[in-house]
Amino acid sequence: MTVRRLLAIPLAVCLVALGVAGCGEKPQVVNYKQGKYQGKPDSLAWENERFKGDQTAWEMQMRQRNLAQNEYQRIN
Amino acid sequence: MARMKFLCDAERCIECNGCVTACKNENEVPWGVNRRRVVTLNDGVPGERSMSVACMHCSDAPCMAVCPVDCFYKTAEGVVLHDKDLCIGCGYCFYACPFGAPQFPQDGAFGLRGKMDKCTFCAGGPEANGSEAEFKKYGRNRLSEGKLPACAEMCSTKALLGGDGDVIADIYRTRVTRRGKGSEVWGWGTAYGRPDQQPQTPPQQQPQGGNKS
Amino acid sequence: MLLTKKFTTEMGKGASGSKRLSRHATGFLAATMDRRTFLKRSGVAAGAGAALSQLPFNMISEAKAADAKPAQGGEVVVRRTVCTHCSVGCAVDAVVENGVWVRQEPVFDSPLNLGAHCAKGASVREHGHGEHRLKYPMKLVNGKYQKISWDQAINEVGDKLLAIRKESSPEAVYWIGSSKHNNEQAYLLCKFARMFGSNNIDHQARICHSTTVAGVANTWGYGAMTNSYNDEANSKSLLFLGSNAAEAHPVSMLHTLHAKENGAKVIVVDPRFTRTAAKADMFFRIRSGTDIPFIYGMLYHIFNNGWEDKEFIQARVFGMDKVREEVMKWTPDVVENACGMPEADVLKVAETMAKNKPGFIIWAMGQTQHTIGNAVVRASCILQLALGNIGVSGGGTNIYRGHDNVQGATDVGPNPDSLPGYYGLAEGSWKHWAAVWGVDYEWLKGRYVSKEMMEKPGMTVSRWIDGVLEKNENIDQEPNLRAVVYWGHAPNSQTRGVEMVEAMKKLDLIVVVDPYPSATAAMAAMVRQDGVYLLPAATQFECEGSCTASNRSLQWREKVIEPLFESKTDHEIMYLFSKKFGFDKEMFKNIKVTNNVPSMEDSLREINRGTFTIGYSGQSPERLKLHMKNMHTFDVKTLRAKGGPCDGDYFGLPWPCWGTPELKHPGTPNLYDTSKEVKDGGLNFRAGFGIERDGVSLLAEDGSHSKNADLTTGYPEFDHVLLKKLGWWEELTDAEKAKAEGKNWKTDLSGGIIRVAIKHGCAPFGNGKARAVVWNFPDPVPLHREPIFSPRPDLVAKYPSHDDKKVFWRLPTLYKTLQQAADYSKDYPLIMTSGRLVEYEGGGEETRSNPWLAELQQEMFAEINPKDANDKGVRNGEYIWVETPTKARLKVRAQVTERVGAGTVFLPFHFSGWWMGKDLLDKYPEGAAPIVRGESVNTATTYGYDAVTMMQETKTTLCRFAKA
Ligand code: SF4
Ligand code: SF4
Ligand code: SF4
Repeated sequence: MTVRRLLAIPLAVCLVALGVAGCGEKPQVVNYKQGKYQGKPDSLAWENERFKGDQTAWEMQMRQRNLAQNEYQRIN
Repeated sequence: MARMKFLCDAERCIECNGCVTACKNENEVPWGVNRRRVVTLNDGVPGERSMSVACMHCSDAPCMAVCPVDCFYKTAEGVVLHDKDLCIGCGYCFYACPFGAPQFPQDGAFGLRGKMDKCTFCAGGPEANGSEAEFKKYGRNRLSEGKLPACAEMCSTKALLGGDGDVIADIYRTRVTRRGKGSEVWGWGTAYGRPDQQPQTPPQQQPQGGNKS
Repeated sequence: MLLTKKFTTEMGKGASGSKRLSRHATGFLAATMDRRTFLKRSGVAAGAGAALSQLPFNMISEAKAADAKPAQGGEVVVRRTVCTHCSVGCAVDAVVENGVWVRQEPVFDSPLNLGAHCAKGASVREHGHGEHRLKYPMKLVNGKYQKISWDQAINEVGDKLLAIRKESSPEAVYWIGSSKHNNEQAYLLCKFARMFGSNNIDHQARICHSTTVAGVANTWGYGAMTNSYNDEANSKSLLFLGSNAAEAHPVSMLHTLHAKENGAKVIVVDPRFTRTAAKADMFFRIRSGTDIPFIYGMLYHIFNNGWEDKEFIQARVFGMDKVREEVMKWTPDVVENACGMPEADVLKVAETMAKNKPGFIIWAMGQTQHTIGNAVVRASCILQLALGNIGVSGGGTNIYRGHDNVQGATDVGPNPDSLPGYYGLAEGSWKHWAAVWGVDYEWLKGRYVSKEMMEKPGMTVSRWIDGVLEKNENIDQEPNLRAVVYWGHAPNSQTRGVEMVEAMKKLDLIVVVDPYPSATAAMAAMVRQDGVYLLPAATQFECEGSCTASNRSLQWREKVIEPLFESKTDHEIMYLFSKKFGFDKEMFKNIKVTNNVPSMEDSLREINRGTFTIGYSGQSPERLKLHMKNMHTFDVKTLRAKGGPCDGDYFGLPWPCWGTPELKHPGTPNLYDTSKEVKDGGLNFRAGFGIERDGVSLLAEDGSHSKNADLTTGYPEFDHVLLKKLGWWEELTDAEKAKAEGKNWKTDLSGGIIRVAIKHGCAPFGNGKARAVVWNFPDPVPLHREPIFSPRPDLVAKYPSHDDKKVFWRLPTLYKTLQQAADYSKDYPLIMTSGRLVEYEGGGEETRSNPWLAELQQEMFAEINPKDANDKGVRNGEYIWVETPTKARLKVRAQVTERVGAGTVFLPFHFSGWWMGKDLLDKYPEGAAPIVRGESVNTATTYGYDAVTMMQETKTTLCRFAKA
């Protein structure tokens, strides 16, 4: 919820700033069509020497590491 | 399964560009290409707020949809990546992206557009994890090393959070709860009163970024 | 960014009403005029940065060392170092592969920065590359720099300096040291100049916090930040007066914003709506240079409402009644007339501070760089004393120092008025250090012209140009200056650039020792054909040593890489010159030298052995290294280690860390905190100013002492007599007795007196009162005086500057006569002030040479208010000429913004390389010009110096501008 709200700010601002010229004009409708990836295959993040394909170990490590971004862990 | 996300806390971002520089450093991004940038609203006046923006790794990514050669893919953890060998540098993705994330390094003397480059969530690209080829084309693959994006990890005030969407939402929620206490009374609005005051006193307004949420 | 441009034009024509387009990010980029986007972003890409950075995703390390393939194994080591760009002291892990610095990782364990970095810190790996550095020694020949060898450089420079020493005197050479040297190098340079026979040496602290150091030390003992950035988490109010921490100390904001989130009120009072102000609860604008009227305005309300801490004042403060008398003259209308803040606003700040205790006042250059800097900082101290906000966790004066080691270089480095550790220059101090150095006092004296000159403070870096230009009969030393050695200091950080160039022209010799000597090199080459030498020094990443963060914590840097190119470490260069000058044996008597490189560990041990005054005695290299390895064991809020090998220590052993390393003192996290025992980092105010004054005791009142002290009264500093009187002498060992006899706590080399005092819970420096009245200063009670170049002639009459001084730090110094010579504000009606940008540091050559930073800030600019801009018909982004009463003119881009109030012009001080509209690129040594060049604000700054320390006035002068 909060993520969306944060993003909404700049978007709203530019709508106001730049949208005026387009008043009365019909907004162009864009139809996105999801394509199918044509490029090279990529390996998974845990497919390497360190994690040896163990997804759970990788996810644990990610969670751990993520907490370093929360200073409340250490200052309270 | 972790879904990788960014969140920039506008109450904390001080526009120091630590994140921008961390990205340049970690991924050797050349001059003129900015995978990440800091945007400031109301610069120099009360209400000034900054936000660090890069590719948001959208769930329903417009760049993916418009690419005529279908060079985009999404990793298991939700990171949007592309294959530079396939990219034709047409720039459609740039137009489609709401954040202006895709970048086009100038290639050669005539200002021709090179292959698109963008934030990879520090997850490299479609080459062997940690290989030199991957690094040269896409930058570091920190995720495969068990690390998170350099920009978020080095943010000077921990405004920029990057990682598992659930975890960073938790971190952010803690802060907002704390703020609730003091800033209700001491937010901009209460501290400044009437909107018709001198230019140096901020007008009545609530800070963006969820002071009340 | 070609695309962006086209895109905005299209939108400007109204061609796009499409949702898709208007949602685009470039839209909001163009819609907001911040200071980055208003300048064209890739303007400099074709310049010097291009060659390297245009190669997409090229490995910098690969360009440097073709055989390094970081992705494929090789020897990988991680070295822990500390960012060199400000005093926060952010730790960095450097990943080095085959000798090449390939990556940089955040150190989450660091209790100071928890992994965080600003742009500068996140870019330090660039130092391991240094494309724009000076690569070998050079010499100016016929106006062009030519490569020479190190041998030739040391010999030619050495011979010339020796000749000047012989012909004139050692005093004819001016040494400018550096706050970017580590403690050991700064200490060695201090010793070096003294052995050369001169006190004419100084460094950045003079022009950064000299007024703080003098003013604050004279108030309560030590002139340093009382608490730490971390301690802000314990605070309830934070008043930023003269600090833009969000740009100058970005990672400190992690602590500030955390505190704010937990209810602390953040208040910013500043002439500018800074980025710090943008994060505050309250912001109020004042006129530049009127801090004292504002502070006294607050005190007026504090006293009138009885908000002062009466008990604290009675027990621990001397002279508050005198201050009160002065304060009562500052009624709200007088305050508003002087500083522009209405009564309600001043009251609001006063009330917030008084009702949210403990709280901090935070300052940096905004308070210090004034002709009355010493008085401004004392007024701040008085405010905190009145509120009882000193000596508590969460309250104090958080004085943010600038350079990464300016605190350390001030403490033990090259100062003109003191030997290391603030010992001064009296005979007793010389004998103390002669004993530590193991040299004969008489030999040292023989190095000087006379005992008188040996004990006379030297000139200051802010005034060296007058040492060259002033008439010989007016200066207080035999010769004028004939040579200047810039050893890690930028020229564009000193005021009066126009006269500096004249001084450079007149000198016999200019020597620059620096990784980036380019600003000095270019300025000198502009006016000279020869007589300039450039020596490439290594950065702090190419050597090891300790540095002191703003909170007095010491951190040990490991050497990351070997010196790049032909550069040498500063201490090696010192050694080579000491050999050339013939005092290497004396200088390095206790310090091992291997292949011309002196040991940094031994140097620190020598510092430890002598620096008792401020407790730099307990921080042995071994203890510091242990802290660096065990950062994770320290609590972030208290900085104290819980368990582990450093159990009980405070991180980095913040000074004073009393006694010898064996005493294992944990360091002092918050100064003058009586709630702890001295052995656990507690303290009280220093008794350094005598026992009584005007019949009033200067010692603390009974019952006011550090926890568990055996002496519950005030007491003077400890010496052998006091110990004997107290009957504690016998507690010394025999070995200690032998050394302590006839000595005091500062000069007892055994550390025994300190040990015994602390054993009894007492502070070695006594237990005194803080002085609200500093009777040895020109204005004992701090007084407001208008700047020399004041925009308010009416107030000049009321608050005139000081009387001129005939001899002051060896030079005549003007105040009143200059201030009253003319009404400058008629022709120059605008206030000119200067400050920091987050991307750059100091003079800026180093950071402007870093492509990752240079890209973010590509042009010099001036912030002007829309009103002033419209009055002059200037639009955003246009070039303007800014002109000051010196007649110097600066060509800069106008940034029209409400950030500054009407009547104020702000210029950042990190630029150089342009001279009054002209790019000096061709004056730089080839390949060593920074990527971004611009007009230096100090080309145009005016005369004006603090009446105690010679701090230069940079924050308030006058200017006008016109469209270029
Ligand atoms: S996630 Fe990595 S690539 Fe993306 S902006 Fe951050 S540092 Fe750059
Ligand atoms: S590093 Fe953090 S605070 Fe600095 S600009 Fe980026 S997001 Fe903002
Ligand atoms: S400049 Fe200061 S705040 Fe920024 S990373 Fe370096 S030490 Fe930290």
